[in-house]
Amino acid sequence: MKQQNVLELRELCVQVDGKELLHNINLTIPSGEVHAIFGLNGSGKTSLMMAIMGYAKYEVTNGQILFEGKDITDMDITERSRLGISIAQQRPPTISGVKLRDVINYTSTHNSRKLSDIDRIIKDAHMENLIDRDINRGLSGGEIKRSELLQLLVLQPKFSMLDEPDSGVDVESLGLVGELINKLFSSNSIRPAKRKAGIIITHSGNMLNHINIDKAHVMLNGRIGCTGNPHIILERISKCGYEECIRCMQEGA
Amino acid sequence: MNTCYNNQLEKNDIETLADVGIIMEEDKKSGSFIMRDYEQLFVHSQIEGLEILPIADALDKYDWLRKKYYCKAVPHDKLEKLSQINDDIKPQGFFIHVHKGTKVRFPFNAAIYMSKENIHQNVHNVVILDDDTELHLITGCATQHSINSGTHLAISEQYIGKNSKLTSTMIHSWGSNVKVIPRSGTIVDEGGSFENNYICLRTAKDINSNPQTWLNGSGSSAKYLTIILCSEGSKINTGGDVYLNGQNTTAELAHRAVCTGGQINQTGLLIGNALCKAHVDCAGMLIDAGQDGYIESIPGLKALHPEAQMSHEASLGKIAPEQVEYLQSRGMDETEAISLLIRGFLGADVAGLGPELDARIAEIAELAGHGEE
Ligand SMILES: Nc1ncnc2c1ncn2[C@@H]1O[C@H](COP(=O)(O)OP(=O)(O)OP(=O)(O)O)[C@@H](O)[C@H]1O
Ligand SMILES: [Mg+2]
Repeated sequence: MKQQNVLELRELCVQVDGKELLHNINLTIPSGEVHAIFGLNGSGKTSLMMAIMGYAKYEVTNGQILFEGKDITDMDITERSRLGISIAQQRPPTISGVKLRDVINYTSTHNSRKLSDIDRIIKDAHMENLIDRDINRGLSGGEIKRSELLQLLVLQPKFSMLDEPDSGVDVESLGLVGELINKLFSSNSIRPAKRKAGIIITHSGNMLNHINIDKAHVMLNGRIGCTGNPHIILERISKCGYEECIRCMQEGA
Repeated sequence: MNTCYNNQLEKNDIETLADVGIIMEEDKKSGSFIMRDYEQLFVHSQIEGLEILPIADALDKYDWLRKKYYCKAVPHDKLEKLSQINDDIKPQGFFIHVHKGTKVRFPFNAAIYMSKENIHQNVHNVVILDDDTELHLITGCATQHSINSGTHLAISEQYIGKNSKLTSTMIHSWGSNVKVIPRSGTIVDEGGSFENNYICLRTAKDINSNPQTWLNGSGSSAKYLTIILCSEGSKINTGGDVYLNGQNTTAELAHRAVCTGGQINQTGLLIGNALCKAHVDCAGMLIDAGQDGYIESIPGLKALHPEAQMSHEASLGKIAPEQVEYLQSRGMDETEAISLLIRGFLGADVAGLGPELDARIAEIAELAGHGEE
């Protein structure tokens, strides 16, 4: 059987407030693969995820987003979410008056998930104490990350985008976060070697120690500069910095 | 007066009452008062120690009522300007007296509604809680869905004894051309507490409400939550003055308004006359409010004692798109997301009000989704 791509970006240009942030992005995530995105602050990593999710502020001015071969460029966030696309945001909004439990209840009802399963997920994420708090209100950096992951674990998306799930997480909790992410990508299919696809944005090699990353991409000034083995790329970056990547990209161009 | 009012109520009566939190199951409440148009249909208590009478009968029966209580928390002179007040008319309304030591577990339901056009209701209610008592009073006031015009003038007086607690939940739902003038006064004795929830689901043409509370006893407290869902063509004035006269008194006022047209003035004045702690918080949300819709929030503080600790806040805004989108990314559609946000904003979880409040929030959410496009 022909291997299908879960996500495909073709010549994608995205602008925010009239300014183009992403230029001609081509990116393919085959099914079962998890890719990493590295890149300097402000290079456009978050914008890329927000555009894939369908946030209105991130306006696609050119190109296409395909999900499982279907053009979703004109779909709204709800439609994309219901197709199985999901995001754990770097900086999700605080929502006063709405409890994390309200969202969890909504998704678990819609996905007809067993209450006992949900309780176990909450417990596994060490979120029992935070579930009745307003969404992200007064949560610490690390707690916000776990809150985001928890919501995705209940949603069980086909495709997860994780925007810096490890940043601000203390050393002892990194293992927990890694475990939760692996659970998120694990598939219940009869072939255990197969897993779900996704993208992770990270600045550190920590994630590589916990999660099998198939490929990495380097984002530079709104473009994908290079693609390759995540360990090798990260080693290069930590040795020579992103300057080297920029030089390399300019030479390539 | 009939003890089996279910016979007298028709399907649309029961629906009207359900909208404003009035239930028919006798075993889930401590008693009922039902007044339709000018007729007091039903007055009944199921609990010993919870006395309920039509106010006119109570005034005939108890001399002390007129001497000590009647018109003391809402002085008549304040009402004279209101044309409906007339001493010759035999007053209508209820008298509730919770006798010393009685803690009433189930809520008491009072319903006052209009089933015909151009009814002019003139109601005077008195609630007395003796020392060491508790009562939850649910008052539902409405016009039947097809009724548009009328007047509803209601005086409510509450006297809360030492270490007693009154929770008063008032739910209103009006025809678009009705004029509503509620006047309320509450006096709270030592250690007593007053919790007042006012929810207006469907606004009338004109509502002017300014409840007064006197926290006279030391350690007494008041808590107000006012929720107004204001639609086009309505003019709403909601306020509330709390006088913190006793030592160690506390008051919390929260006003929430969602405006889909219409004009809202939120006020709320705290007057600190003693060592006390008080906070007033006004918040409003404009949704597709059109040309004339507005919310004006003026929370007020007046400290007359050096140890009065008082604060206020006010905020007006719209629904934040990034919050809607966040919830959408969890699978909700736009209307569901906005409904949840409005519910969160209102902080409303008022028992017995589920379906009708849900229905109103859904209507507003539809408008909001529509308005953003
Ligand atoms: N909603 C927005 N409004 C205005 N500018 C934006 C918005 N989102 C992103 N930008 C701008 O676009 C550029 C890329 O931002 P983005 O958040 O995508 O970077 P990033 O690669 O995720 O950075 P970091 O590593 O710091 O998270 C930045 O210059 C940022 O200021
Ligand atoms: Mg980012």
